[in-house]
Amino acid sequence: MIAVDLAQNTLDGLMVGSSYALLAVGFTLIFGVMRRLNLAYGPTIMAGVYLGTASFISFDAPILVVLAIVIAGSAVVGLYVERLCFRPFGEAARTASMVASFALWMQLEEAATHLLPRHMNPFPALTTSPPIEIGPLLLRVDHLIMLAATLLMAVAVTYLLARMRLGLAIRAVIDQPRAAAIVGIRVERIMMLTFVLASAIGGIAGFLIAATDTQVTAMIGMWATTKGLVAMMLGGLGSVKGAIAGGLLLGVLEAHAQWFLGPQVRDMVAWGLLFVLLAFWPGGLMGTKALDRTMAVGRRV
Amino acid sequence: MLDVQDIATAYGKIEALKGVSLSAAEGRITCLLGPNGAGKTTLMYSIAGVLKPRRGTIRLGGTDITGQSPAAIVARGLALVPENRLVFPQMSVAENLEAGAYQRRDSAEVATDIERMYARFPRLKERHTQLAGTLSGGEQQMLAVARALMSRPRILLMDEPSLGLAPLIVEEIFRIVGELNKDGVTIFLVEQNVHMALRVAHHFYLMEQGRVTFSGEPGKLAEDEVIQRAYLGTSRPTSEHKTG
Repeated sequence: MIAVDLAQNTLDGLMVGSSYALLAVGFTLIFGVMRRLNLAYGPTIMAGVYLGTASFISFDAPILVVLAIVIAGSAVVGLYVERLCFRPFGEAARTASMVASFALWMQLEEAATHLLPRHMNPFPALTTSPPIEIGPLLLRVDHLIMLAATLLMAVAVTYLLARMRLGLAIRAVIDQPRAAAIVGIRVERIMMLTFVLASAIGGIAGFLIAATDTQVTAMIGMWATTKGLVAMMLGGLGSVKGAIAGGLLLGVLEAHAQWFLGPQVRDMVAWGLLFVLLAFWPGGLMGTKALDRTMAVGRRV
Repeated sequence: MLDVQDIATAYGKIEALKGVSLSAAEGRITCLLGPNGAGKTTLMYSIAGVLKPRRGTIRLGGTDITGQSPAAIVARGLALVPENRLVFPQMSVAENLEAGAYQRRDSAEVATDIERMYARFPRLKERHTQLAGTLSGGEQQMLAVARALMSRPRILLMDEPSLGLAPLIVEEIFRIVGELNKDGVTIFLVEQNVHMALRVAHHFYLMEQGRVTFSGEPGKLAEDEVIQRAYLGTSRPTSEHKTG
């Protein structure tokens, strides 16, 4: 029954991987405009999710209200991170931004554990429908919703970047910030908007993850940063398509690793894969062409 | 049209511009010549709002624009073709032109202007779907000029448009500079190619070590001497911060 196992793992991996993909899309947008690593990205999402779960615990808020609170909370905390860690420093002071974002990571985790002191907190379930059976395969309905939501977000972000005025400005800032300023784009404003947008996208990912787990701990912050980071690096920095591909690939590989080699090996596979990719394809899977490889390496933190 | 009074711009403690005054008359081609490190690019970026001068005033059509943001200055009708072209390498030729028209809301007119650019620069039309980073240096320069024109500027600043280009392409660039000027665009040009610059300029300035050292019509100074001063400077070279 190895074929069934392989198929089931691949499906599970794609669905879990879709949440990594969404995390990576937000991460890559922030990295693209800032060219600096935001270590507080995951904790920003965690803060949004914690505000959502607090409203669920305290007021029994319905799931759509929780979703709205998570998105708005992540966006506002994202703005806070941008103001404190990124706006004050120029691109030249990359280390300052990264260390500052680490400090905010600690601060946000601390704040979250004061808001909800219990280690584990309940989160409303996306759905209670039983899994769908297709022959020998089982599909969780909430995972299907997660996959569908990710695809929808991917289409929306791609449309924004390819067709809308704001998207043109975001790509211009990613591509050549000085030229963007010269043609009259308000670069700092675009950076701020992208940062808030990316944090909100991360919030959607965080909501989907928490709602399929139906519980949340403050560890989701670090978890989201690392999964998003690996998926982003796999796909190549600054590429939305790459981020999605990287997230799905990471999910599938983890699912197989967990099934065939055991849960302890799961994370090791992700990091090992990242190492191999960076050593042999430093531009990532879809990020940059071979010609730009040196530039891609140079742009890495 | 453009009037610069006593501008000083510094990088940290190093003063690249030490009180520069010059002006570019409406409808004319004004050219700024000078050796590497004279502060020419610093001046261009200071006028365009990318760098903030420490003192002095910059007026555009009578309005003080000193210290305004690049976006506000573009809105007032100034466009810069920057040194090294700085096209958007991962965007198509057509998208580069759209980005040049970023502040404009008249999308139908923008589309017409893009067609106009294709008529003026046929190579850009041939390559309109290609990524700008894959164009040759000459094509990138054409694109940078076209992108700047997309904002419909009253005055066009061009920073060393001939840099690193083959002689035939340089000829073409200067032909286009002349044509644009005939169409009524005021041009302020920084150049290293003294011969070509003196052929098109109505007025020129020499700049050395952060100061303007000569102002006059072409012909007022022998070309040999301009070349001598534009490439080597009159005084001994110093270890001044290089700004191009």
